[in-house]
Amino acid sequence: MSIRKVMVLSVLVVMITGGLWAAGQAEADDEVTLTVLWFNDGDESDVFMEAIEGYLEANPNVTVDLQLVPFQDYEQRLRLMIAGGTPPDLARVTNNHVAMFVDELLPLNGRVDDLDGVLAGFNDASIAFATGPEGDILALPTEATANGMIVNVDLFENAGIDILELSENWTWDQWHDAMVQVVEANPGLDYALGYDFSPHRWSTLLYEAGGRFLNETETAMNFVTPEAIDALEFFKMLHDEELVPASVWMGSENPQELFQAGLVASHIGGSWVINKYASDITDFEWAAVRMPRRQIRSSVAGGKFIASFEGAENEEAAIDLMLYFSEPEQNAYYCRETFNLSARTDVEIDYPRRTDDFARMAADLAVTPAITAEDWKSPDLNKIYSYIREQIVEGLLGNITMRQVAQNIHDEGNSFFQE
Amino acid sequence: MNRKTGPAQYVLYSFFVVVFLFPVLWVLLSSLKTQSELFRYPLTIFPAQPTLENYRTAFASGRFLQYLKNSSFVAIVSTAITVMINTMAGYALSKYHFRGRDTIFFVMIATLMIPLQVIMIPIFLLEKNLGLLNTLWGIIIPPAATPTGVFLARQYMMTIPNSLIESARIDGAGEWFIFQRIILPLAKPIVATIAIFSFMWRWNDFLWPFIVISQQRKYTLQLALSNFVGQYNIDWSSLLSMTVIAIVPMVMVFLFFQKYFIKGLSSGGVKY
Amino acid sequence: MGRKKLKGSFDQTVAPLLFLAPNMLIFGLFIIVPAVSGLRIALYEWSILGDKEFVGLANFVELLDDPMFWRTFGNTVRYVLLVVPLLTVSALGMALLASENYPGVAWFRGAYYLPTMLSLIIVGITWRWILGDQLGIINYVLRTIGLSPVKWLTSPFNANVSVVFISVWMFTGFYMVMFIGGLQAIPEDLYSAASIDGASRSQIFWRIKLPLIRPTMLVVLVLGTINAFKAFELIYTLTKGGPGSSTKFLVQNVYQVAFEEDRLGYASAMAVMLMLAIGLLTAVQFRMNREYSNE
Repeated sequence: MSIRKVMVLSVLVVMITGGLWAAGQAEADDEVTLTVLWFNDGDESDVFMEAIEGYLEANPNVTVDLQLVPFQDYEQRLRLMIAGGTPPDLARVTNNHVAMFVDELLPLNGRVDDLDGVLAGFNDASIAFATGPEGDILALPTEATANGMIVNVDLFENAGIDILELSENWTWDQWHDAMVQVVEANPGLDYALGYDFSPHRWSTLLYEAGGRFLNETETAMNFVTPEAIDALEFFKMLHDEELVPASVWMGSENPQELFQAGLVASHIGGSWVINKYASDITDFEWAAVRMPRRQIRSSVAGGKFIASFEGAENEEAAIDLMLYFSEPEQNAYYCRETFNLSARTDVEIDYPRRTDDFARMAADLAVTPAITAEDWKSPDLNKIYSYIREQIVEGLLGNITMRQVAQNIHDEGNSFFQE
Repeated sequence: MNRKTGPAQYVLYSFFVVVFLFPVLWVLLSSLKTQSELFRYPLTIFPAQPTLENYRTAFASGRFLQYLKNSSFVAIVSTAITVMINTMAGYALSKYHFRGRDTIFFVMIATLMIPLQVIMIPIFLLEKNLGLLNTLWGIIIPPAATPTGVFLARQYMMTIPNSLIESARIDGAGEWFIFQRIILPLAKPIVATIAIFSFMWRWNDFLWPFIVISQQRKYTLQLALSNFVGQYNIDWSSLLSMTVIAIVPMVMVFLFFQKYFIKGLSSGGVKY
Repeated sequence: MGRKKLKGSFDQTVAPLLFLAPNMLIFGLFIIVPAVSGLRIALYEWSILGDKEFVGLANFVELLDDPMFWRTFGNTVRYVLLVVPLLTVSALGMALLASENYPGVAWFRGAYYLPTMLSLIIVGITWRWILGDQLGIINYVLRTIGLSPVKWLTSPFNANVSVVFISVWMFTGFYMVMFIGGLQAIPEDLYSAASIDGASRSQIFWRIKLPLIRPTMLVVLVLGTINAFKAFELIYTLTKGGPGSSTKFLVQNVYQVAFEEDRLGYASAMAVMLMLAIGLLTAVQFRMNREYSNE
């Protein structure tokens, strides 16, 4: 009697489980549901949905299934979906992702009429990022990002420095002196600069010093150069002289938060912070300023893109929507509402506020050499992203010399190039 | 053993409460601050103007109740299943002798040693092929067979005297009857433990839902929470308030089940 | 009566298998099958889209020469050797405080257990904030009372200490609950008998409580060790493995190699090595337990 009870129970469990398996998912055909993968930093997904309203109205059989994924787990999610044979129809990707997924993204060549015409409206760096190693176009640009410096105008004023004027045309040495002065003149201030904990942001120094990661043909590393070591050592010097707090590169504190709290006098981040600071900072005056020069003055290009994948279920509709979203009108709306620089050259965005700051960062972006994009679109360079970060910290800690740091990064990168 | 708990003991216990709770208190206090106050310097411990704005926005986002429902369903159902099958398995592994018993046990423990990251893709493919993707059952059933729960049950049940079982058999009791009427009542502390743990694991689970669920309306609270960590920023106000809300059910479950840690249950005899 | 006896022995052979079945069915399908599949990949070189190339033991050979692997392995072992004893002692200590039924004990238990109820990400983010050099509340308090702030997460040594401390803080409640369950299983009479014989509190602990919670102790040690070896999310949110790679542990390495460097086979090989290490330690723990156990 008792055993029977157990057997009945077990059978029930199996049946219930089996029944649930059977209750699969029914897909309606004729209707097209586009899976769109998205990550947010603010409310970009909402703006996206607003921007494509026109398309959805004109195509009532199309519905968008927007799937939000945390940025930290984005690659994981993409790899899972691709490995499972169900890549998303569309995804918002960074230039980093484009480099990582070159083999999996859907090339637009041959699938879009007059692709050249479409591409003509975008800036060169963004197109470069969107181009795969074989020369095919893997994504359409949406926003362009620029690295840049934001300063606390009031703190510099206390040191007698008109930072906006100084930064119109300044060098690293002048920058260094200004930082020393601002700390001295402000008793409560401990640090002059918060620097984003990111190799991409650090590379601003690299390019300004006249260096780069890769060789001319982008087939191998070329990182053990006097320019690269110059940039590394300058960065170390900023830490050693305590102009920069150790807790960012060595402790994961967020330099944005430090800047907002007034604990650092400036912040090297990117164009995406302008909007955030505009909403959050109320106690002091701040501005985006132009980068100082070493050998050249430069920003680093970056951007976000929209792309489809090989094997996506609704290729045609996906490309349609992608093209629609990339048109000047929708693009301008999106960039305006999300406070981003546009990747298009033919749109004038009338930001509701802080136009000057955008203009300054855009000006730096305009003088940025093409090598920043050529470097950062390399899949092999992106594979050692965390490694670069770790090595720089090892150098900052003093465990190895900066020359050794350069050598390690050089060798590690080459190990991937050689495959 | 009657030891009066005097004021000195209470002071000691309270000290530990502060040690364990102060980050949680920090989260709670911070959730009552406005976003701009959070990063004002000098820091404030208590909110200058306490506000429930963060909670309002959390609820207003509409989806929040949906996530709460999903998490609750998953946690409750999975816990019920877990308790049942873990105690059964633990009983089998501790009180019976059969070939392969110890091998099965060690294999179970061995799988605990595998980091989930390595088997994420095979699990994803498996659930896809079984049609369990984007279903709540896909995150209820697979994790229910936790080796940890079985391990706990087995260890605990090993301490139950065999004589109880044997005398019941002599009296003619069936195996299921023994399990249900003798073992389970004696195992109340471990049942309570497994229930508490299972609820907590499913409630806080991130990896399993991440692998299985991609549609927002099936999201659990944890998936939703992780979306507040953006590429450059953390949406602290939403994150903090949702965290506080997410803790409440677990505390309730704990307080409910912990009363089964009642001493004297195994005072040597059996009452049934 | 005779008929029942026969049925009894049949029951006893079939019963365990039936008791085990539901758990093993789910477990076998959803854990064993993917695990075998996932671990087999260690013998291949595989990047997600496609070409799986059988390379035999090449990944393992490469591991032997990989400085980052050994670095993370060493970090992990050091972490385990610190966390497991501290955690066990801490959990047992709290359990001793909270296993009896004085008024209000439920609230104390709840408070000690609460950290475990927080998700790993929240704990990481919150402690990172609390321990921040500039914006952290602890340093802020230190500065206000005139002491110099401490670089909790910014120096390799401190970062490791902080990581160990936070891990113990977080999981004490978890293992405490297990110990309470184990302590509650000790028959009351033993205590009465012992105190009648004049045993002191300390003797009761060492001679009665400790030996009788051996089964629980085994669970705590084994689970504690396994979980410590697998530590990732908490540490990564706290320090990203930093400064540099001073708090980078094995699973973070596995994660980066798999999803950033796109080498699933190599990552799998690392996981196999991890399992071997844990398995060894666990086997030792089981063996030692068997030598001391009475039943």
